[in-house]
Amino acid sequence: MMRIIFLECKKVFMSPLFIGLFIVFSMFNMYLIVDNSYFKEELKIANGLAETYGLEITNESLHQLEEDIKLEVGKMTEMTGQEVESVFSFFDQLSMEDYEKYSEEEQSFFHQLQLKEAYLNVAKQIDSDYEGLSMKALAEAEIEKYQLSGNAAEILLTEAEKLSIRFDKLKQTGEHKQWFFLGQPYEMHSFLFRTIVKAVVFEALILIVLATALLTTYEFENRTHLLVYATKRGRIVMKDKLFASLLVTTVIVAMLLGVTLAAYFTVFDYAYLWKSSISSALNWEYNFPYITWWDMPFWKFLSLVIVLLYSCILLFTAITYAIAVAVKNSYFTFFIFAVFFAICFMLPGFMPLSSSLLFITTFNLSVVVMNPHLLFTGNGGLVMFKYHEVLTVTVWTVIALVLYWLVSNHFKKVDIH
Amino acid sequence: MIVLKDVSKRYGDFTALHDINLEFTNGLYGLLAPNGAGKTTMIKMLATLMRPSGGEILYDGKDIFQMEETYRTLLGYLPQQFGFYKNYSPKQYLLYLAALKGIGKKEALVKIEELLEKVALPDVMNKKMKKFSGGMIQRVGIAQALLNDPKVLILDEPTAGLDPKERARFRHLLSELGRDRLVLVSTHIVSDIESIANEIVMIKNRQILYKDSVEKICQTLEGHVYETSIKYEELDAFRNRAILLSEKQEQGNTIVRFIHKGKPDVAWLPVTPQLEDVFLYEYRDDVDGEV
Ligand SMILES: Nc1ncnc2c1ncn2[C@@H]1O[C@H](COP(=O)(O)OP(=O)(O)O)[C@@H](O)[C@H]1O
Ligand SMILES: [Mg+2]
Repeated sequence: MMRIIFLECKKVFMSPLFIGLFIVFSMFNMYLIVDNSYFKEELKIANGLAETYGLEITNESLHQLEEDIKLEVGKMTEMTGQEVESVFSFFDQLSMEDYEKYSEEEQSFFHQLQLKEAYLNVAKQIDSDYEGLSMKALAEAEIEKYQLSGNAAEILLTEAEKLSIRFDKLKQTGEHKQWFFLGQPYEMHSFLFRTIVKAVVFEALILIVLATALLTTYEFENRTHLLVYATKRGRIVMKDKLFASLLVTTVIVAMLLGVTLAAYFTVFDYAYLWKSSISSALNWEYNFPYITWWDMPFWKFLSLVIVLLYSCILLFTAITYAIAVAVKNSYFTFFIFAVFFAICFMLPGFMPLSSSLLFITTFNLSVVVMNPHLLFTGNGGLVMFKYHEVLTVTVWTVIALVLYWLVSNHFKKVDIH
Repeated sequence: MIVLKDVSKRYGDFTALHDINLEFTNGLYGLLAPNGAGKTTMIKMLATLMRPSGGEILYDGKDIFQMEETYRTLLGYLPQQFGFYKNYSPKQYLLYLAALKGIGKKEALVKIEELLEKVALPDVMNKKMKKFSGGMIQRVGIAQALLNDPKVLILDEPTAGLDPKERARFRHLLSELGRDRLVLVSTHIVSDIESIANEIVMIKNRQILYKDSVEKICQTLEGHVYETSIKYEELDAFRNRAILLSEKQEQGNTIVRFIHKGKPDVAWLPVTPQLEDVFLYEYRDDVDGEV
């Protein structure tokens, strides 16, 4: 049986289209990473801060940082021959011409110092900024924005209450006071998860849907079905094909993600920030910082996202398989899957704004995989539920199993012409 | 032993086979009928690819659809039409099918070599099949059916695409195989099986017409088949008197072979009925352009 599965896998990996796409996708991801790498040197500041002052931002470490910056600003006064209060104010009154007069080394020094100042300023303001954050106000703003009413509005407010409790606890434990790349301007969280990881998911989906459709319909498309399904293994070969598809999926995800993340972490150094929390106040990109339901260091978030997305992709493989068994044609399968994926993703948008259906319909795999940067967070718009991801995967595992059962029973009995 | 009990097959409203009752033991059976008679339909049911709409098919008393693997382990099957993996060599292709038939790799390699020898393809064992002619593909198909040394060998129009020399060799192979197993060969070409089949099964109007030895089937026309020489101009008039089986030109005259039931003309030469005669006679209303 292992031999059959291996021989099935071989059919995919011998397909030129498949290998071609894999190479194109890998290159594209590299390009995305390199294209965004112009500020990678600046990111070393965050690592440096965590290295020197410890990952946690405490009053003492902040004080120490402030002192050190003062010292360096003093050095600047010497270098420039004028009284410098902060790099920020110094640059403010500096003309381009004057700036050019300084050596590259000096410029670099100013720049580094300016960045440190920026980190310091953000860090110093955490407490006051967080004072102004209210989960209830956020929920109300969302209700306003989406014009929610009735049940839907109530659900959102209830969730906001739960999130408030979590938020208060977060403030107590100081989970948010950890060094990380500045959310503004770098948006590293969004870049990694929304741009890179989502690209990988998309590419992986294309590959696995192609592979699964190819394998499942292979005998019908090559007209070998009469031979294959009359052998000893017979129609059970479909089971082998499903296993082979899941295996191929695993290999694809591992390789694509492996290549891409290896490139990413080679370019962007996270050396001292692996343990920094996703809910860190520095990781504040837009109107709101990310607030995860659980304390999640970067490494844990990344791992969980990978595990979760991998599970979703496996489920997509199973769904593709079910479609392919039913329609027996790989192009139709691909097309139907694409439509299915898109409909699932847009479904919540068609729901009444007053009904809990609005939320119930978000419990689908497309919604989960399309927003990797918001996973496990409590403030991701309509998908803020604590167990949204886990529940979605559980529900769809059941759906996939039922689908599998249905199509296997159908295929067991169907006439093969 | 395979038994078909009241087997029917319907495609939607269309009945392809109706209440078929048959028994097969070891030996070579020829399933002889024109195109569209239902040969492939019957064979696909025997290969468990389709289920009968009514009745049952038993192997040694057990329903073949319940036997599942146990039955298919014994089965060798060559479909009428089949594809192949274009970028595979016969060896790779047969190795894959061997895996599906539960044959170990080592054992399969030996068997594949032996079979490709048997169907005269040893030289192209490692060549990609997309360059193969129809006859070569057909021979790979025959080899495939024999991989698991089947107790039940079912071949659906196996001679299609083979040239006369290959046909002769194939007939020889078949009669050899028929000695110790059940071989069922469907065809619409009489000469394929006439000389080698132990029994001939003929289907007409969705039912079994004959299941008997060639001799017995021919006896049904005993004393009714004649040959005579007539002028070409008389041919049309002759058609109204008798059922013409064949005609051939000879020195300005036409020699006709025909069936006549009733008092014969003295000029007619009675001849021994051949299977071909029965075939032409029984299926005379079918469009026989393809025969
Ligand atoms: N899948 C099908 N759907 C509908 N009709 C079919 C199908 N397969 C065969 N038939 C019909 O059943 C009859 C018997 O076909 P078949 O078994 O292929 O005959 P043979 O093999 O003797 O040429 C034909 O009239 C054919 O048109
Ligand atoms: Mg046929």
